[in-house]
Amino acid sequence: MSVLWILFLTGLLAALAGLWWPERAVRNLVRAGLLLALVWLPFVPEQSGFGGLFLMDGFARALTLVGVLAALLASLVGSGYLERTGMGAFEYHALLAFSTFGLAVMASSANLVVILVGLELLSLPLYALAALRYDPASEEAGLKYFLLGAVAAAVFFYGLVLHFGATGSFALGAVGKGPLFAVAVALLLAGLFFKAALTPFSWWAPDVYQGAPTPVTLFMATGVKAAAFAALARVAVGVGMGGIGGAFLALAVLLTVFFGNLAALAQGEAKRLLAYSSVAHAGYIALALFGPDPAPAVGYYLLAYALSTGLAFAVLAQVDGGRGVPFGEVRGLVRRSPMLAGMLLLALFSLAGLPPLVGFWGKYLAFVQAARGGQYGLLAFALLTAVVAAYYYLRLLAQAFFLEPEAKGGLEVRPLAALALGLVAFLVVALGVFPGAVYGFFNVGGVVP
Amino acid sequence: MIHALLFLPALAGVLALLVPAWARLLGLVTTAVTAVLAFLLLQAGGVAGYTELPLLKEAGVYYAVGADGVGAVFALAISASVFLAFLAVREVPGRMLALGLLMTTGLLGIFLSYDLVLFYFFFEAALIPSLLLLGLYGGAGRVPALVKFALFTLVGSFLMLAGILAARYLGGAESFLMRDLLAHRLGGTAGVLAFWAFALAFAVKAPLFPLHVWMPDFHAQNHPSGFADVMGTLYKVGVFGFFRFAIPLFPEAFRAAQPYLLALAAITALGAAWIAYAQKDWKRLLAYGALSHMGVAALGVFSGTQVGAVGGLFLLAASALYTGGLFLYAGWMHRRFGSLELAPTHGLAKAAPALAALGLFLFLAMVGLPGLAGFPGEFLSALGAWQASPFWTLFGFSAVIAAAAYALTAYQRLFHGPPGKAVADLAGGEWAFATLAVLVVGFLGVYPKFFSAPLAEAARAFVAVLGGGQ
Repeated sequence: MSVLWILFLTGLLAALAGLWWPERAVRNLVRAGLLLALVWLPFVPEQSGFGGLFLMDGFARALTLVGVLAALLASLVGSGYLERTGMGAFEYHALLAFSTFGLAVMASSANLVVILVGLELLSLPLYALAALRYDPASEEAGLKYFLLGAVAAAVFFYGLVLHFGATGSFALGAVGKGPLFAVAVALLLAGLFFKAALTPFSWWAPDVYQGAPTPVTLFMATGVKAAAFAALARVAVGVGMGGIGGAFLALAVLLTVFFGNLAALAQGEAKRLLAYSSVAHAGYIALALFGPDPAPAVGYYLLAYALSTGLAFAVLAQVDGGRGVPFGEVRGLVRRSPMLAGMLLLALFSLAGLPPLVGFWGKYLAFVQAARGGQYGLLAFALLTAVVAAYYYLRLLAQAFFLEPEAKGGLEVRPLAALALGLVAFLVVALGVFPGAVYGFFNVGGVVP
Repeated sequence: MIHALLFLPALAGVLALLVPAWARLLGLVTTAVTAVLAFLLLQAGGVAGYTELPLLKEAGVYYAVGADGVGAVFALAISASVFLAFLAVREVPGRMLALGLLMTTGLLGIFLSYDLVLFYFFFEAALIPSLLLLGLYGGAGRVPALVKFALFTLVGSFLMLAGILAARYLGGAESFLMRDLLAHRLGGTAGVLAFWAFALAFAVKAPLFPLHVWMPDFHAQNHPSGFADVMGTLYKVGVFGFFRFAIPLFPEAFRAAQPYLLALAAITALGAAWIAYAQKDWKRLLAYGALSHMGVAALGVFSGTQVGAVGGLFLLAASALYTGGLFLYAGWMHRRFGSLELAPTHGLAKAAPALAALGLFLFLAMVGLPGLAGFPGEFLSALGAWQASPFWTLFGFSAVIAAAAYALTAYQRLFHGPPGKAVADLAGGEWAFATLAVLVVGFLGVYPKFFSAPLAEAARAFVAVLGGGQ
């Protein structure tokens, strides 16, 4: 509960303070609030409130932590980008804080209505954030994200209503059967597939990720994904993976890892490539839902993925001058800034799932769940597509490392952003070598009470 | 001690990345220390320094390391090869050497792991420095070569990861520790599928025909100094993977697959030697020569006999030393002539007699001349393979004749042509490398027991699993 208050007050104060204070002060306020929430989270006791509507269990705590971490990273590495592109507005930070609040709400409930409220709280600030830069690409991203997000919310809402009709309850875990329940399950999952970017509900992702300002993309790819999977895990486990839910999810995973990875092959723009890669990763995370104990795998994968993708986008945010990051901009990065190039390398190898980086353990845990759930066919297919993924990560790396730069001159990275980047890079390696260090925090029980 | 052996190179590597100017010195000191540690482990006998600590206990993953005879022998061979490489290189980028040190930890880990996931961890961890060595310091065609290498390796290793998961979860073991997995072997169809998943990964990494196609480009495009090639040679751990993991875990599946595997190994041995004969480039020649040796080593291990396994592993360890030495030697040639072409105009034997003698010595080791390091491994492999399949043994071991043809032809072309421009003979530090290489390769030739005795101890257990001959 206290974490929700911290996040809510941070957003509220930031929005109000922005009217009188300089942008710099708002920025620091938001960062302080997020940092407070981050260090407070591990000490929050497991609790529930409002007659079970609010549920701060281990799973909620773990995924909120990932989300807050992502927001903090987005805030820290975003300032330089905002000023370069002439969007030095306090709204970025305030909206980020509000969105993080929505994320926490969405993660800490097993009630469909509250999840929907959280979804909207998370999404509304994001629509504005996506359109924050004054140019057509950003506006298009914002509008597209809004329209499709609204459709997704409506689909989820339909599912919610039918779920109530079939079971007489908004609470997940309620027993239901029959065609009405099956339709409800399909609609609920489809709504969340939108937010989690699982194919065939992922076609908005590349355009939105590419058009949105890079630090916003960072948050969308990491924090939003964590919230979406928090809800998805609860819904999937709550309605049971035996019936239509399992079949629907298996089909989505199959399509996601196939199209996500295949489409990424053809990209010549780094943000777009990472967008498709993020779609593919959603498929790998969803694999974990088939196992008997999905919570730790989902949580740890999301942490690993948020650190790695976050690091990759954070590096791109330093390179991006406001017109996206076509491969030409990344070319020869190692000559312009060995530090940033090194971090990009860690991030991409981690995303490819190579040890000794944290991404390996995320993949490993998710695949173990799929194996224990008996999904060997799906697992083998996912592993094969992971090789395709390694190829396009290598393509991007080859641009950064093995070719001569087009643009000349070094890159300036602000001290705080450099610190954040360094810390995340350190975590990517350290958690890869010592996976047990934080695993206990993610090793929580079930996802539905 | 074993932990110091494992992680000292990585620590030194990080330090060397930060201070590239110290890289060579750090490398020499570190690998000298690891060589001493490996020697002590070799003397200890049994599974020296066995340690078991939970890495991710809830998921059954342990940091389980130890050095049995095989582990210690290879730790020593790796340390010695890398030490020689640091001794031989001149005027190369410090960061390249640092990557080599980082990779050394991965390589050592492969041979010392007693947990399947930990093994996979090191197996893949060595890949990243290897890719960077090629991508950052390679020749003009490095990017296609790198992609080819990475994709072959990753397809194999991701399949192996599926095999690893299946071995535990379908076999019903408590953890990924080797002792648990060996107590709960996976049989039946699932066992066969899992065996082939491992076999594919190791066939890429051995490499065996027809999964070797990444290798010639890999070597041809690597840095001309030969440093990265030494690391790449050490990374060819497939034969060891069969010996330590694939065969003991799935003995039934191996028995069924044995005739095909023997055939593949024999074809690799002879085919590669044949192709080597036609090469006009130092590195391609050595790449195919090494490939041929891997085929012979694989024949030994696939025989399923103790003597064959000892021979195969001996050859694997010894060939890392002399093939690595030849790659470094090729690097010196590149420094002198500016190209890696096997040109017939150099007439080195007159102009630089000591240099030519060193080349002849290493080539003869590669050919398998008795008294040098190449012979015991080839001979024992042949002894073992004969018991399994006389036909494929004869077929594969014709490679020995072909080896004489390609190695001596290359020697003749390079050294006995009409003298060309003046060439510097061995000088200064090069003598240190030459002396040490000759000593090591000669020592293993005249006292093979130094390696074969500890290998035999480990191979006994291997044969017991298969329930087969001597």
